[in-house]
Amino acid sequence: MKRSWYCLLLITSGLVLSGTGDFAHAAAFEPTKPIEAVVHTGPGGGSDIFARAIAELMQKEKTISQRMQVVNKSGGGSAVAMSYLVEKKGDTHTIGFFTGVWVTNPLTTAAAKVMISDLTPIVRLVLEPAVFAVKADSPYKTMKDFIDAAKRNPNQLKQSGGSITGRDNLVRLVIEKATGAKWVFVSFPSGGERIANLLGGHVDAMVIEPQEAGEHIKAGNMRVIAALTDKRLPSFPNVPTLKEQGIDVPVIPQARGILAPPGVPKEVILYWEGVFERFVKSAGWKQYLEQNQFEDGYLKGPALNKFFDELAVKMREVLKEAGAKVVR
Amino acid sequence: MEALTNLLLGFSVALTPGNLFWCFVGVFLGTVVGILPGLGPAATIAMLLPLTFKMDHTAAIIMLAGIYYGSKYGGSTTSILLNVPGESASVVTCLDGYQMARQGRAGPALGISAIASFVAGTVGVIGLMLIAPPVARFALRFGPPEYFALMVLGLTMVVFLAGRSMIKGLLAMLVGLWLAGVGTDLFTAESRFTFGHMELLDGIDFVVVSIGIFAVAEVMVNMESRGGAELFRVPRGIRNLMPTLKDLKDCRFAFLNGSVIGFLIGVLPGAGSTIASFLSYGAEKAFSRYPEKFGTGVIEGVAAPEGANNSETGGALVPLLTLGIPGSNATAILLAALILWGIKPGPLLIQDHPALFWGLVSSMYVGNVMLLVLNLPLVPLFAQILRVPYFILYPGILGISVVGVYSVSNSLFDVWMLGLFGILGYAMRKLDFPAAPLVLGMVLGDGMERALRQSLMMSQGHLSVIVTRPLSATMICLALAILIMPLVNKVRSFRLKAVEQDV
Repeated sequence: MKRSWYCLLLITSGLVLSGTGDFAHAAAFEPTKPIEAVVHTGPGGGSDIFARAIAELMQKEKTISQRMQVVNKSGGGSAVAMSYLVEKKGDTHTIGFFTGVWVTNPLTTAAAKVMISDLTPIVRLVLEPAVFAVKADSPYKTMKDFIDAAKRNPNQLKQSGGSITGRDNLVRLVIEKATGAKWVFVSFPSGGERIANLLGGHVDAMVIEPQEAGEHIKAGNMRVIAALTDKRLPSFPNVPTLKEQGIDVPVIPQARGILAPPGVPKEVILYWEGVFERFVKSAGWKQYLEQNQFEDGYLKGPALNKFFDELAVKMREVLKEAGAKVVR
Repeated sequence: MEALTNLLLGFSVALTPGNLFWCFVGVFLGTVVGILPGLGPAATIAMLLPLTFKMDHTAAIIMLAGIYYGSKYGGSTTSILLNVPGESASVVTCLDGYQMARQGRAGPALGISAIASFVAGTVGVIGLMLIAPPVARFALRFGPPEYFALMVLGLTMVVFLAGRSMIKGLLAMLVGLWLAGVGTDLFTAESRFTFGHMELLDGIDFVVVSIGIFAVAEVMVNMESRGGAELFRVPRGIRNLMPTLKDLKDCRFAFLNGSVIGFLIGVLPGAGSTIASFLSYGAEKAFSRYPEKFGTGVIEGVAAPEGANNSETGGALVPLLTLGIPGSNATAILLAALILWGIKPGPLLIQDHPALFWGLVSSMYVGNVMLLVLNLPLVPLFAQILRVPYFILYPGILGISVVGVYSVSNSLFDVWMLGLFGILGYAMRKLDFPAAPLVLGMVLGDGMERALRQSLMMSQGHLSVIVTRPLSATMICLALAILIMPLVNKVRSFRLKAVEQDV
């Protein structure tokens, strides 16, 4: 009798042990259905195109076992996408593609109640560098020429760009503050219009991404007069940075990366971190960075949280000084 | 001569069996997407993008472009049959197209829209082929003041859309302008008329308003009068389902007008096909011998906007392929596709990738023929939809409207808005307010306000910038002429009456 009890004990403890073994195995998360990737722009917008490229590359490099499906939640800057992610609290098969707008939009828009700190950051993938460009036949050969002209004729020169809370305008504001020059920022909703107005001579300058500028320079339509980065860009070795030209202003980063809804289990975060660690080492990703002339901005964990915190502080300051209404 | 050798190169690319197949796939998908309201070409191209990575790049761009111009063919179908505008550019087609359907002429309306699409689509491609670089350079002369003048010119089309009462037309237009103002102001990042609703921060989608005011209101008005089961007369026999020779003759000018206006507006990156279709409808009515009949089912009123809508595609590809500047959402995705494939779109594309460019241009000729062949036989088939009894047809229309609106941004909020605009549309019908001016105001309001404020920022607040630049001054003068014309006519008819009374 005693023996049988002993046996039973053995069997049960064995079951329990194997059970925990199973449990430990289940803890390594693996998606079981397509991943929903939320972006804040409509089809064709910057974030949409980036997300689709990543989804495609991941499939090609076989970094994830499931398909990644891009879901467009446009509206309210980034507010609709962000609150959609909050609704998906704890969902293990949803991720979001953030950009700098996800940090600045809640600062200036009262109706955008979700902050990036309400979500679960996973990785930052790229930093998009930018350059300051003028038309090819423009008299301004350096940033100094442009600033001097802007000082001589305040508010006569014009720069085309997007929303006033976007990077283009923030760059102008920090340069204006550092140099005392003043020029006008004219908003155009689409990138096409910004370039068309520069090439048509309706505005004098614009902030543009190096890849895009490269083609227009090759065709003899555009000239780049400053790199808006810490170091010179490999594609424009002869174009000095703002700092080299004596304008010491903070670099305003344009970051892109991935985050998850609030309250997702730790395993899911670990899973995504692992996926992207492998992904950023792949040849396809390296080639993509080079083609688009993006800067590798890989960052995760506490460093990423710190990046968001510092960015929010910096942006609040820049926006306030710019006279924008900061609501948070 | 050079164009000819290039075209030969293009056809040698476009006519390979593989490329012909993908061209057909593209235009077929485009037609389907065009018929379904809500789901637009931009979303479709984005969805299919992953498929193209494994394809040959030329074949892929041929297919994606096929979706883009193919969707313009299908857009008119639901406008004519059900008063549900499939795309924003087919709102104008509802005006005369749906009236034609009510009179039992759905077949000719659908037929002429396919033919006009074919003619103008082909003209657009010819324009793209022959005059792309100079036209693109000309388009660069359009700065904010010119866009403002163009939008003002567009707004004067209200004169042709107002119907019986000009005051009611203007009021409807003002409501449209106000609706366009809802959302986040681009220049100050301030929210306007959003009443704390996050969903309104990006403004009200045009599709929601137009489907609400046209389709939902139509259903409501018709449900009120519980008439017989047979709704429309649909004549039997293929002869009555196709446009007659006289119809084609009547549309000569409409084909030309639609082609030219569509192409030129398409070239401008900030304008778009909706403006093109309104302008060509206005031009058609202005030069018509019987302008008073427009809005009652005149075949030119279908041919002109449908032509403009299709010719615009050729125009929109001009800045994309010659300057690397996308003019619309759909072309922005085409641009992104090129970049993802490792092709650098931009001013040098034609030089660096002649086979791709000319292959695409040639495939568009082929694609337009395919679309005509594909769409004309469907006409008698689609016309039969109107035989469906009302207790099936009306719930069907409502269903299509709701699904279409929901598919725009997968938002239930938009569906509630659809109901709201349906009620507004119903009230407007009851009070005899025309719907088209409201839509016109809404389409143009956003761009017009923006262009005006951009102009004023550039000129430091001096309005003179709009009249001192030759291009914008010309367009403003034209707009004034259009506004004054009806007044002159009124005075003249008043005088005639006075003379008659004297006698």
